[in-house]
Amino acid sequence: MTSTLLVREHESGGVQELPPDEPRRSRPRGRFTPLLLLVPACLILIAIIGWPLVQLFVMSFQEFGRAQVFGMPAPFVGFENYQRVLGDPQFWAVLGRSILFCLANVVTAMTLGTLIALLMNRVNRFFKVLVSVGLLLAWAMPALTATIVWGWMFDTQYGVVNYLLEAVSGQDFTNHSWLIDPFSFFVVATIIVTWGAVPFVAFTIYAGLTQVPGEVLEASQLDGAGAWQRFRLIVFPYLRSIFVVVIILQVIWDLRVFTQIFALQGIGGIKEQTSTLGVYIYQTSIGGGDYGTGGAIAVIMVLLMVAISVFYVRRSLKEEEQ
Amino acid sequence: MRKRTLTVTALGVTAALALAGCASGGNSSGDSGGGDTADIRVWLNGTDTPDAAREYLKTTFEEQNPGSTLTIEEQAWTGLVDKLTTNLSGSDSPDVVEVGNTQAAAFTSAGAFLDLTDDYEALGGDDLLPGFVEAGSYDGQFYAAPYYSGARLVFYKKDLLANAGLTVPTTLDEYVSNGIALAQANPGVSGIYFPGQDWYNALPYIWEAGGEIAVQDGDTWTSTFSSPDSIAGLEQVQEVMTQASVAPKDGNETDPQVPYCEGAIANLSAPSWVKWSILAPADADAPGCPDQEANFGVYALPGADGGAAQVFAGGSNIAVSANSAHPELAKAALEIMLSDDYQTILGENGLVPAKLSLAGTLGTDEVATAIAEAAANAKLTPASPKWADVEASGALQDFFVSIAQGGDVTELAKALDEKIDGILNS
Amino acid sequence: MRKRVTSVLLGAASVVVFLFSVFPVYWMVNTSLQPNNEIRGSVPNFVPQTLTTANYETVLFEPARAQFLPALGNSLLVTVSTVVIALVFAFLASLAVTRYRFKSRKTFIFAILIIQMIPAEAMIVSTYRVLDGWNLLNTIAGLTLVYVATVLPFTIWTLRGFVNGVPVELEESAMIDGCSRTGAFWRITFPLLAPGLVATGVFGFIQAWNEFLLALVVNSRPEMMTLPVWLRTFQVATGTTNWAAIMAGSTLMAIPVIVFFLLVQGRMTSGLVSGAVKG
Repeated sequence: MTSTLLVREHESGGVQELPPDEPRRSRPRGRFTPLLLLVPACLILIAIIGWPLVQLFVMSFQEFGRAQVFGMPAPFVGFENYQRVLGDPQFWAVLGRSILFCLANVVTAMTLGTLIALLMNRVNRFFKVLVSVGLLLAWAMPALTATIVWGWMFDTQYGVVNYLLEAVSGQDFTNHSWLIDPFSFFVVATIIVTWGAVPFVAFTIYAGLTQVPGEVLEASQLDGAGAWQRFRLIVFPYLRSIFVVVIILQVIWDLRVFTQIFALQGIGGIKEQTSTLGVYIYQTSIGGGDYGTGGAIAVIMVLLMVAISVFYVRRSLKEEEQ
Repeated sequence: MRKRTLTVTALGVTAALALAGCASGGNSSGDSGGGDTADIRVWLNGTDTPDAAREYLKTTFEEQNPGSTLTIEEQAWTGLVDKLTTNLSGSDSPDVVEVGNTQAAAFTSAGAFLDLTDDYEALGGDDLLPGFVEAGSYDGQFYAAPYYSGARLVFYKKDLLANAGLTVPTTLDEYVSNGIALAQANPGVSGIYFPGQDWYNALPYIWEAGGEIAVQDGDTWTSTFSSPDSIAGLEQVQEVMTQASVAPKDGNETDPQVPYCEGAIANLSAPSWVKWSILAPADADAPGCPDQEANFGVYALPGADGGAAQVFAGGSNIAVSANSAHPELAKAALEIMLSDDYQTILGENGLVPAKLSLAGTLGTDEVATAIAEAAANAKLTPASPKWADVEASGALQDFFVSIAQGGDVTELAKALDEKIDGILNS
Repeated sequence: MRKRVTSVLLGAASVVVFLFSVFPVYWMVNTSLQPNNEIRGSVPNFVPQTLTTANYETVLFEPARAQFLPALGNSLLVTVSTVVIALVFAFLASLAVTRYRFKSRKTFIFAILIIQMIPAEAMIVSTYRVLDGWNLLNTIAGLTLVYVATVLPFTIWTLRGFVNGVPVELEESAMIDGCSRTGAFWRITFPLLAPGLVATGVFGFIQAWNEFLLALVVNSRPEMMTLPVWLRTFQVATGTTNWAAIMAGSTLMAIPVIVFFLLVQGRMTSGLVSGAVKG
């Protein structure tokens, strides 16, 4: 009872720290200065992202194949590309797969990351350094390198994973292929992606934990409520905004995942059953030479992401508005 | 212009030195703006082209075209179509590019290559491998010349065959039954090594059963994996994959020398150049097992009714980019690559030369005989500009991996046909 | 007693986390130090039986394929330029959106969020043509420009939070002391942002260092290759035969990132958190 009250007080206190009106009032109403400050960023974004994006959008309404890349005129076909994509069961399979994969990865990475952050907050200095060093090494591994290394560890014939599993479980894992079964493929992919994502989550949440006032943490150590309750009611409110930022980033990154899946498909597995949106776009447009359809998929994917994040965008824009 | 190059090549056939002299003279007085000098970029794929040939190309070109240089940029086969699509369309295009024979149509039809119709005779004319000329032509025009071809052979362990009381098979059925018998007699050994993704190796079974991959009727293509003949072939493929092979069901065909050298393969159907991987020194980066040379045998895959089977003719075409800034110099480089001397180097290194008349350069040993037999019956994939897209989609690999896992052949073949029809006629 | 058990359990958990994080890295280094013909055995070597640097020599010096050193140079150049340019541009832009009110402010913030969701794979051909139009193919500048554009939205988005965290009053008092507004930004706000700049810079660094698809297509000349393209080419060229050399290459590619991370590690997330809490 007391502790909940404490949190509320602090929550409102946190807001009072930066009263919503004050910085706004002192914000100068420059006419040209802000625009001038935006010029370099805008120029580069318009030239390198904006203009190609317009081309991509136009392309998605055209018949645009390899011949068009080499200068043939591209006829407009209206919504034909979109119709083809939306009527293709494979697209829906890829979409469903991507969303499931994204969810699985976000949940796994957030859970493990939070647990590790809490762990780091509890253990002594030695173990804290130990965990930090491990996480830092995992974080620093480039995605392509990491996928190649994991691929080698899961190798059908000479992989260390098969060897260890056989040694530990006593069952026969000789020549067990991890990538041939789509589900197993995604288990491996999830391990790779999570392995790379957990350090970021853990470090960020750990840094957030260090900002939670000592007395609150102490209160949360008091017995009475279960550990989960304590975390949810006492610690979590402080970390809410951090969680939102981290989750949004994880969703964007995991939905766009490309390198890991692409490189893993090169090592083994059935492409058709393991492609995610990014890889599917690549296969359609660049592999298959159908840039119009690839563009249509990309546009659909962006709309989808906007839809997913619209809640967050609206909320954050409202906060800006205050 | 045409006459000039014709003379040049005619001379080249008899004497390389003469060729050098003439071509350089021809170029400096050429009609494309006189003493044009530049750095010519040549894209060669993988390590297939032997070092001796690269060396020869560079020095010969630079001798013949004083002031110009030639740079060979090695590209990876993986992702090649993507890279070619963007780079050939740009202003910084490579000048001469090698492209897989099954990929050529995607670019000839798109206008990515320079029209070489006028140079056809000069480059070798009807002496060029006909199937590859067809692969490099579109709409009656000639864009991409044959570069080399490879033949698929069967490498085998003599002792395993002898121990099982078997002899070199004379028909495809005997080959399969041998493979199954060998696999049963030697647990952990592939009687016939057949990783799931290796779809090139599945084609002879279809062709020998009377099936086809796809047939053309006017403008439309129909994929025929599910025709009764093809199904019969595919069922034999499945029999081999499940009963004769212990290769990874989703493995690909790269580096078969590793399991071969470990003694896990009795029969290995692979491109002819795999011989050199198997016999590579034991301390090389990619070690082989030269100590097993005495036990190493080779034969051409037998057909259904005896003789050599119709095997897939892998290989490359070579073309000049339409966006090349120096087309005349690029053509000069291409001419060198199709010269008898250059092609002889390829032949001596186990690649089937681009010219029929040079088949003898392969030598006369067991391997060479087998190559000649196999090449005589080699067959290509459908000559559709969209075929490269079928390959790039990975549908074929997926299909054969599913077959290797014991999937229902008829059902899978129907689904594959639908998919390929969609790509070929889109 | 119960406390004891808990702390032992927590210690054990820490060790498990450590092992799981480190094992792939260890396995990479372990494989890279063994002769290629020893890494394929029915029993893997958990420590090298024969220690060798041959794989590193293959990677670094083998004349046929060794583009490693030029590729390292290209990667460093592109990555450092990307990070520096992106940080400066993002700093200016985040000043604009936090310190000023103007009409299109919300549109801008919205736009940079959306941009992060666009799949880069779909835009390769368009991007390629834009660069071609400016004769920037096969140049460091071209690649840098694209990477700056790629990391800029995230950098602005994150840096915004940090700038918000620097009290406006500081700038105002500096202006009272005779600084111009620009002077106040550069002398007061910029230095105070150091942790934020480090935190956001890290992401730009990772992105530019690891990107390979675009680099593969845009910089096709071997002398313009970056490290990921080199690694991929090396992997494809040697097939899966030379795992030992591939692992040596992977190790070499990971080292600069690890060094960079160790240098800046303390600041990376503290910045992000203060951004999230205060922003």
